[in-house]
Amino acid sequence: MRHPSSLKQEFLKKWILGLQRCGFSSKKSTSIMERKKAIKLSADLAMASTRNGTTCWSRALIANASRDHESKILAEQILGPESQSLKKASSTVPPVICSRRIRSKKILKRSCSSHVRRVRKIALPQKVLSANSVAKRLVQKRTNILKSLVPGGEYMDDISLIEETLDYIAYLRAQVDVMRFVASATEVVNQNSD
Amino acid sequence: MEPNSASYVLGSCPTRPEPEETGLESLQFRDEIQRLMTVPPENASSFTALLELPATQAMQLLHSSPHSAGGGGDEHKPYSSSSFTNGNLTFPSNKALIERAAKFSVYAVAADAEISPETSSVPSNSSANLDKVKTEPAETDSNPGSSNKNQTQKLAKRKEREKKGKESAKKSKNQSCEDAEKLPYVHVRARRGQATDSHSLAERARREKINARMKLLQELVPGCSKISGTALVLDEIINHVQSLQRQVELLSMRLAAVNPRIDCNFDSVFATEGGPLIDSNIPSMVSPLMWPENPFTGNRENFQQPWNFDALQQPLWGREEENHTFITPENSLLSYDSSANSASLHSNQLKMEL
Repeated sequence: MRHPSSLKQEFLKKWILGLQRCGFSSKKSTSIMERKKAIKLSADLAMASTRNGTTCWSRALIANASRDHESKILAEQILGPESQSLKKASSTVPPVICSRRIRSKKILKRSCSSHVRRVRKIALPQKVLSANSVAKRLVQKRTNILKSLVPGGEYMDDISLIEETLDYIAYLRAQVDVMRFVASATEVVNQNSD
Repeated sequence: MEPNSASYVLGSCPTRPEPEETGLESLQFRDEIQRLMTVPPENASSFTALLELPATQAMQLLHSSPHSAGGGGDEHKPYSSSSFTNGNLTFPSNKALIERAAKFSVYAVAADAEISPETSSVPSNSSANLDKVKTEPAETDSNPGSSNKNQTQKLAKRKEREKKGKESAKKSKNQSCEDAEKLPYVHVRARRGQATDSHSLAERARREKINARMKLLQELVPGCSKISGTALVLDEIINHVQSLQRQVELLSMRLAAVNPRIDCNFDSVFATEGGPLIDSNIPSMVSPLMWPENPFTGNRENFQQPWNFDALQQPLWGREEENHTFITPENSLLSYDSSANSASLHSNQLKMEL
């Protein structure tokens, strides 16, 4: 795993750069919600760019950001000139690719199953069977919830979903730590200057 | 040609005499592989080696070509010595293990039948791979003196494994013959009484992959290692991700509230380079923020944990701050209108504290 402290430093650098590029000093955006959105967006994009398009969730984040009309301009500004390669990587529309992959897997399964021999299974008692199906349904429900949480998760199969979750959790932790630190630092500075 | 193949397979061990080393190591690897196969799926200790690697690396290892494993031969010696002393089922964390497991599974299946005439009368359903590994049994026979005790252990285990594997020995061997050309996959041996067609084997391999990664996740998310059962672990993971996302929202709101202009304060903040942070600084800031995570438990025991967690982060930043004004920024924040529910909970708890 990447060393967490270097990850955080990289994230911090990119985040500050992105915020500065937002050009907030010029505009008078007094609304708190706008500022909050800008901060969150720049943080997300900074983190996504540190992954350099290697993980699915980072690509999905960038793709989502560039798709919304309101955040598109901000995103382009924040990502800056070196973003061209990143945007190309993320704009290859991961959902289409992933759904294509899933569809081809289904076709393969269907073609294979037509030739499968009947294997004599040892029949389990009814209780065990229903317990198994209940457990499976529970797990399936939770997997769907997780897919909705992780960006770009709807199009992944189970195995890659778990890997993406691992990465995403590491990223969220780093982001929370950095933002917390910056928030406390700015508050103290404000307090002192008042 | 055959001594060459044996030495290629087992790598170079320059200081020890080679025949002895190859025989010993072949037995150990078979043993490890057998232990890998016969561990029940609930106790995923067979993937302990994988767990010490991050997920992406583990994936790469599982799918890497074994031909690149020739360079892993130098690691054999330390690996063999440590695995020898461990009587339990955990693997030493060694990348080369996975590669060798992929390679040796073919040989293990064939060589097992070759060794068995020593102990029992299992007919050797030999395949074409046998002539490749003929050197190994010959060398083990010529190695009587060293570690007879371990040999008997291994023989006992091998008998046990043969009993289990007898049913499916043919099928898995055939499959291993076919798969010899597609070695990048880790071989899975079918257990007694289980279906051995390719679908269930693939299904089982997939399930084991998922279980390995779930174990990694369990170790990452705090408080998950004691829970058993996929659904509950997934619950915890979902809660964790949701709480982290909520924290990010809160923090960005807080930052937006504090700064009337984004970049004006950053320069002053980062201009003050100084000594290390004071210890009580960050933790006291952190602990009110940790409360939204456990809004309903809300007990004071959690107060202590953030202190240890964040105290580790300080040497990274190397800045000096003052801490006497800490509680008041929180109060000033609460006056801002915030839509998040957790913010109101946060404020309630803070008022409780004060």
